[in-house]
Amino acid sequence: MRYLRRTWPFHLMILPALALLIVFNYIPMGGIVMAFQDYKPWLHISGSEWIGLDNFRALFEREDSLQVIWNTFLISVFKIVFNLLTPFAFAILLNEVRARFLGRTIQTLVYLPHFLSWVILGGILVEFLSSDGGFVNRVLHELFGIKPIFFLGDGNWFRFTVVVSEVWKEFGYGTIVFLAALANINPSLYEAAEMDGASRWRQTLHITIPSLVPMAIVVGTLSLGNILNAGFDQIFNLYNSLVMDKGDIIDTFVYRTAINDGQFGFATAVGLFKSVISMVLIVISYRLAYKLANYRVF
Amino acid sequence: MKAMTRKSALAAAALMLAATGLAACSGSKDEEGSSSPSSASSPSASASASASATESAYKDKYDPPVTITTVWGVDPALKFKNGETIENNVATKWALDTLGIKIDSLWSVTDTNNAFVTKMRLAMSSSQKLPDVVTIGTGGDYDQLAQDLIDTGAFREVGSLFDQYANEKWKAAMNLDPNVWNPYTRDGKRMGIPVLDYAYNHDYLLWIRQDWLDKLHLEAPKTLEELEKVMDAFKNQNPDGLKPNQVIPLSIGFKTTMNTWMGDPSWVFGAYGTIPDQWNKAADGSLEWGSINPAAKQALQKLKEWRDKGYIPSEAALWDENKTSEPAVAGTAGIIPGPYWMSGWPLQDTAKNVPGAVWKPYAIPTGPDGKAGRHGTNFTSGVTLINKNMEHPEALFTYQNYLFENLADPQPGSQWDIGVFKGYDYDLDANGNPVYLDKIPGGEVNINRYWLVKDGARIPDAQMKALLKLADGNEPTTRLEKEVKNNYGPETPAAAKVLLSQPDISYKDMFTGPATPTMTSKQDYLKKIEMQTFNEIIYGKKDLSAFDKFVSDWKAAGGDKMTQEVNDWYKSTQSQ
Repeated sequence: MRYLRRTWPFHLMILPALALLIVFNYIPMGGIVMAFQDYKPWLHISGSEWIGLDNFRALFEREDSLQVIWNTFLISVFKIVFNLLTPFAFAILLNEVRARFLGRTIQTLVYLPHFLSWVILGGILVEFLSSDGGFVNRVLHELFGIKPIFFLGDGNWFRFTVVVSEVWKEFGYGTIVFLAALANINPSLYEAAEMDGASRWRQTLHITIPSLVPMAIVVGTLSLGNILNAGFDQIFNLYNSLVMDKGDIIDTFVYRTAINDGQFGFATAVGLFKSVISMVLIVISYRLAYKLANYRVF
Repeated sequence: MKAMTRKSALAAAALMLAATGLAACSGSKDEEGSSSPSSASSPSASASASASATESAYKDKYDPPVTITTVWGVDPALKFKNGETIENNVATKWALDTLGIKIDSLWSVTDTNNAFVTKMRLAMSSSQKLPDVVTIGTGGDYDQLAQDLIDTGAFREVGSLFDQYANEKWKAAMNLDPNVWNPYTRDGKRMGIPVLDYAYNHDYLLWIRQDWLDKLHLEAPKTLEELEKVMDAFKNQNPDGLKPNQVIPLSIGFKTTMNTWMGDPSWVFGAYGTIPDQWNKAADGSLEWGSINPAAKQALQKLKEWRDKGYIPSEAALWDENKTSEPAVAGTAGIIPGPYWMSGWPLQDTAKNVPGAVWKPYAIPTGPDGKAGRHGTNFTSGVTLINKNMEHPEALFTYQNYLFENLADPQPGSQWDIGVFKGYDYDLDANGNPVYLDKIPGGEVNINRYWLVKDGARIPDAQMKALLKLADGNEPTTRLEKEVKNNYGPETPAAAKVLLSQPDISYKDMFTGPATPTMTSKQDYLKKIEMQTFNEIIYGKKDLSAFDKFVSDWKAAGGDKMTQEVNDWYKSTQSQ
């Protein structure tokens, strides 16, 4: 009771956020019932017909649904791994830059692409990666004599392009998190290491990296929840008929079948399916984060 | 099965609505047949003669004004002047002043990335107020949206209204092709008024760089074989001195479909006797999905050969329609398929980039058996739906009758002969002569997009008639003739003539009904394997036998069932 008397202003301050959460995240959850209906907008939820698990059955009966789920999984796993490793390594390198101005400039520059939308980048990449005189292929040809690569028209290269361009766009953002962690390392550790005659490389190996690992585990495990989000904006703007078998993901597939054809019930079912898997993964990853990095929310 | 019972329940509801609508109107309906022809005011005249029961609601001008609510998907390219908007502009002022009809916009949205369809669907699902009158376009997702809107039951049967209130000009235009009602007919009830468009608007032909042909002393190609010789010469002995890898002899693209309107490859299929990605009439009179016809296999082989030789863009699989026009405008493409009006836009700009560049229209070349084909255009560009709660549905007819009478084909000396709104689509110079386009102070705006119904009023065959008259060397006399001369590119009349020199090669998409159950669930997958197989064959990732596997996969994965459903629908329209 005394505890509450002391902390009530904080509870009051949390109320608006809680209200928003309830209004925008919890109340709409009622719409999940659409996943079990042949939902017709003009009949509303109350009037639409119940069809049980038919929407889920439709998802798995489609000849290409396993392929689409596999594509989603594969692309997002690669994105998660490289979106973790790249900022990790880059933050360490950036931390070694002695000139503060240079470091800051680089940090800002790599952060910039984060703010560009995929609609714009999609158009730029199509020109940039063109196998018919695009910049990248010209450079590859002139420097290494490599034959033009059809980055966006070959399934395997498409996946590669999608992962690399995503990492290029987002690693600046991830770097900031790791730079913050770096700033928290106790300088006395480095001082002690220097006294013991450890080289710069040794210091990195035995102080910097071990200090960053807990943060890396937290970032990595939390991103597991996104394992079925392979990036709709990006894929939708880049994919084409040639790479359908390797580039079509759950979200683009839902967009075409559900939004274009007005099958809202089906879209909700797929969304629910994704959410359930994400929730399981988040629970697991939270446990892992607790075990491995002692990371706890509560 | 469940879906079926739902459909029929809906249909029954629609029927009941329609029946009540009919009962309400029947008082004045009898007189329509005997009314005098071809006068805008005839419906109201005849209706007021029957004042015995109730006075007809139809008026030439409403006082006090009536309100029609609507919603707009605004073409991002549409321009406004004098601070006007789609909600409030010269055309809405005109409607209020002349007809006493207030156009009230519930919302408007710039129609990029399907924004209109999305917004309309959201409006449906969040039970927002639906407009009194809404016009939905055709093609892409618009068709399905229109069908879904009809299914909501929020819109009324319109056939009886049309019979009662539409004037003779409008009816005559509608009768040019009775099939235009097919997509919007449910159990014999006409649920939406088709928006008529100029016929042949998206039928295409080949535009070829005449200056290149002349410099190479080549004749325009009449067959695929001759076309290949021309493409080879364009590429390897380019008259403008372009290196072979800089030239795109034939600019086509197929990013989302093999059947589109510019940079379209479907005539290559046509040369072998099918048109892909649409329902064609087969030899036995039934409907058949064009992409599974064996002729498509030969066309794919030809396209692969052309890609290997560099005749078509190496990244054609990533090119959409606008992209195909880029090399054409830049002067690096030799041939581009496209509509007859293309010499105005975009090809007019080629000469700015390459002085001396001349595009001329040519007929679609024939295949080895003398066959030729292109996709045809239906006469409709959309559908107008009327809300069942609309208080004065006849006001829409007041509006449209006026436009059909005065705008569709104004005769010399009539009020809109030289133009509609001074300072917008025309202006007068110091001597009182009309000026157009850039000569209008502040520039021209396309007022045809301001009307309540898309493009105002169009009589399908009017534009072609005007163009053919010009092509024969006649001076333009009517407004429409002057307009096509002024607004369209210099080659348009000639192109129209070329187009109509092959009147029988246009394959229209014969299925215009609402999506069948199998279509809703399987169409996306079927299109996916189709486009993938076609592209992989063209790009040499699979050999030609992949086509046969595609056909059997397609049939097994729901294609056969879909064909059955489509033919059931087709029979139901034929028996009417």
